[in-house]
Amino acid sequence: MAATKMANDDRQRVSVIIVGGGTAGWMTAAALAKLLPTRCKVRLVESEAIGIVGVGEATLPHIRAFNERLGIDEAEFMAATRATFKLGIEFRDWGRLGDSYIHPFGTFGRGQGIVDFHQYWSRLRHEGVEVPDLEQFSMAIAMARLNRFRLPDGDPASLESTFGYAYQFDATLFAPFLRRLAEGLGVRRTEGRIVAVDRDGETGDIAAVVLESGERIAGDLFVDCSGFVSLLIGKAMGEPFQDWSHWLPCDRAVAMPCRTETALTPYTSATAMAAGWRWRIPLQHRTGNGYVYSSAFISDEAAREALVAAVEGEPIAEPRVLRFTAGRRERSWVGNCVSVGLASGFLEPLESTSIYLIQAAITGLVELFPEKRISPVDRDEFNRLIDLEYDRIRDFLILHYHATERSDTPFWDYVRTMRVPDTLAEKIELFRRRGRVVKYREGVFLDASWIAVYVGQGIVPEGHDPRADLPSADSLARGMETLRAEILKAAAAMPDHRAHIERYCPMAEAA
Amino acid sequence: MSAEEPIRGVLVAGGGIVGWSAAAALKRRLPQLSVAVIGDGAPTDAPAELVAPTLPSIMGFHEDLGLREADTVARAGSALRLGTRFEGWAKGRPPYVHAYGAYGQPLGATSFHHLWLRQAAAGRARPFDLYSPSAALAQAGRVPVPAGGADGSAQPEYGLTLNLARYREMMRAFALHLGATERPGSIGEVRLDPGTGFIAGLALTDGTEARADLYVDCSGPSARLRSALGGGFADWGRWLPSDRLLLGQSAPPSELPLLDRVEALKGGWRWRSASQRSAAHGVAYASGWMTDEEALEALSQSGAEADSAALPLRQGQWLEPWSGNCVAVGDSAVCVEPLEWTNLHLAHSAIDRIVSMMPGRDCAPVELAEYNRQSRTEGERVRDFIALHYVAAERPGEPFWEAAAAAEPPPSLAHTLALYRERGRLPFHEEETFSRDSWLAVLIGQGVVPRRLDPLVDALSEARAEQALELHEASVAAAATGLPTHKDYLQALTRPARP
Repeated sequence: MAATKMANDDRQRVSVIIVGGGTAGWMTAAALAKLLPTRCKVRLVESEAIGIVGVGEATLPHIRAFNERLGIDEAEFMAATRATFKLGIEFRDWGRLGDSYIHPFGTFGRGQGIVDFHQYWSRLRHEGVEVPDLEQFSMAIAMARLNRFRLPDGDPASLESTFGYAYQFDATLFAPFLRRLAEGLGVRRTEGRIVAVDRDGETGDIAAVVLESGERIAGDLFVDCSGFVSLLIGKAMGEPFQDWSHWLPCDRAVAMPCRTETALTPYTSATAMAAGWRWRIPLQHRTGNGYVYSSAFISDEAAREALVAAVEGEPIAEPRVLRFTAGRRERSWVGNCVSVGLASGFLEPLESTSIYLIQAAITGLVELFPEKRISPVDRDEFNRLIDLEYDRIRDFLILHYHATERSDTPFWDYVRTMRVPDTLAEKIELFRRRGRVVKYREGVFLDASWIAVYVGQGIVPEGHDPRADLPSADSLARGMETLRAEILKAAAAMPDHRAHIERYCPMAEAA
Repeated sequence: MSAEEPIRGVLVAGGGIVGWSAAAALKRRLPQLSVAVIGDGAPTDAPAELVAPTLPSIMGFHEDLGLREADTVARAGSALRLGTRFEGWAKGRPPYVHAYGAYGQPLGATSFHHLWLRQAAAGRARPFDLYSPSAALAQAGRVPVPAGGADGSAQPEYGLTLNLARYREMMRAFALHLGATERPGSIGEVRLDPGTGFIAGLALTDGTEARADLYVDCSGPSARLRSALGGGFADWGRWLPSDRLLLGQSAPPSELPLLDRVEALKGGWRWRSASQRSAAHGVAYASGWMTDEEALEALSQSGAEADSAALPLRQGQWLEPWSGNCVAVGDSAVCVEPLEWTNLHLAHSAIDRIVSMMPGRDCAPVELAEYNRQSRTEGERVRDFIALHYVAAERPGEPFWEAAAAAEPPPSLAHTLALYRERGRLPFHEEETFSRDSWLAVLIGQGVVPRRLDPLVDALSEARAEQALELHEASVAAAATGLPTHKDYLQALTRPARP
């Protein structure tokens, strides 16, 4: 049997240097300190002079597993970050002007049959039966439309088990919240701006980062959480950037928060605009707004004006512009440098994937945590996992732009007619023909997400699964009507979203 | 109305277990189809028709069809099986059991095998088998019904050892009962439509012609229909060395075992398994390293007589099992040596996939491409799992085994092995047939241990882990209490239900 030496003694501990203290940096620091206390010593270098981007205000349900693993109390976290609940994303004006659909965190139908619910729905439509919109059969959507919220039921037979949820929170408050946790777990924080990165002449690995003060911080493993600047993996290691802007042409965002003067919606809104789209994220104390646009199709000034005109409340800050390019570093882990978050790549926040991608990288790093001397096996597997995540999210995002009938602006003409990746073209064609969704177990967006966007943006299956032909049309229609009524009744009996928050997790002080 | 025409008529070529199972499943789950089986008997060269042990997935296949154990076990003369005992695969190591279901239980977020590996690294590990409820039950001769441990722990799973002739008859009768029809005659010529490349019809030897919208090829390795359409075939001979199969029978043992036995030989391996009233034996071997006479000798050493002459075996799969209006199923699509008993499993899986991905009559390339992608991925991972047994084998001094262990594995298996050998992690794969615990049973059973431990096990103190291991071992050891013996269970199934 191979000798497997324990690595508990201090000299064997991997010294981890995290560069950057935003959401990515503090999430990484907290997770490593909590989950691998015997394997690493964590030090985080950040500069208060550098702001954090903090656009990742809306999340996916996966964040709950992350928080749980770190032992974070939900109500405490929500109060601290002024969070609200999120049941999905509303897309307005995407397929056609005037459209509205919700991508729900949950299933269509009861989610228990062998044949997907939408196949029965398609079949009735093919027979000319009048059937309500697919969204009428989603618990999550019914709750969202009525501004209701209650935690899901654990009983899988209950309709109230057919939805999940995420949070909408203030990302600028999440990092400090995690910082307290991480520092409590022994993470050492160093204030300072990095002016140089020393690389080992032989291996090319990072040997140390040098601060403005002259201090030189050496380590075994460097985690690049420096954001768009990509200080380590981009600038120092020179890992090439794969540019995806021909598929995802939006390259700027203008953001401006406002007071919440409308109902507190348990969902994020993404409204298509002339040259991009606009987000609306309701938090307890304010509503985040922003216009993500392509500078090739609209000027900064015009985008700013369009945002200001559209905001539904009194602004509480000046509009602020961010610049970016859609794409990613070819490898996320190079040598002894792992990139997490914006330093590794950027995908626009259309489906709230920024924090998810941070989390995926952290999970990969924890599960493949290396020794002082890094094995290429760990690194290659990490990169394989991250590749899968990026590729699948990329296709899903492109779908939103491409599946449209809009031809009212040059931007929409471009995305409607652009050539999409073959992997996506095949997925669309499979759904168009018979409502088939390419199944996979590993990856973030599963069947219901794809179905919601396809149908919501006008890709309606021409055929259906022949198994859906088995029940009689009458019994099927009756069953659907019963389900629709049950969903509506269950949603209507739930508490109002704001009332639930005020009881469960009110923020400490009023805004 | 749908824009396009649905498939209405299906012809199944091959009247064996696979063909009749396909017919039954199609009629049961898509009763609007008309299904005919060209019934010239079972293919005589297909491992799926000839190898008696099956995987636990057969139980789910039966359940979807509405078949109960009264039919599939009692009436068909099957026995239950909980796994396989491997002997001689790693010299100097005791035999190991690949049993179905869980090995151990995770402790918090840490999977069980990491705890076990830490004990092993400290030289304190008990055999991995001791943490498998199925292996413990097999040892005690008890069967896990009603399923599930008393404490709600992981449920043991079982497959069946078939009495092949009776099982085929049962399935045929069931398919006919569901409305499938049997068309006598054997296939003469496969006629292609020169325009589409689809099959236009089958000329039968009785002079008639049979036509359908979809042709399901269950004819065995020769792929009578599918091969007429051409296309690429991936040959796996360099990773899966057996190219001959010799089958035999003996009198059944006095007590029906719950594990079959698979033993490494100088140029291959032999097995013995038993169902009610018969014991089935076989030798799979590489003709370059073992002669037919030696295989025959190996069979008779087990007390068995050969059924017939040895069969050739060409291992590999069609890159596109579904082409045009013809889909190959089972050994017609993917043919491997029977190690780990996947031949009928792969047929069932293909049948399920056909049912759930049924295209329209035009068999659109985009729909077939997704079907083929899934089939190919599944086949490759089964190949990897079988190849693992050879790569991880240790029989020093025997050239066949030294060559097998030294062979460069397929890239996906190389990746799995590299990650496991480095740090005990098994990468996730889509379309994986065998669970992580199955991979571990073989890896650990054949003595493959990682270079280092997973850092996440540090979170659990050794004392706590040790306590958990002891408790688990005790609960596994106690799992047999109150469960029926194999014999009693089979007898109870055969008795008519009380009114």
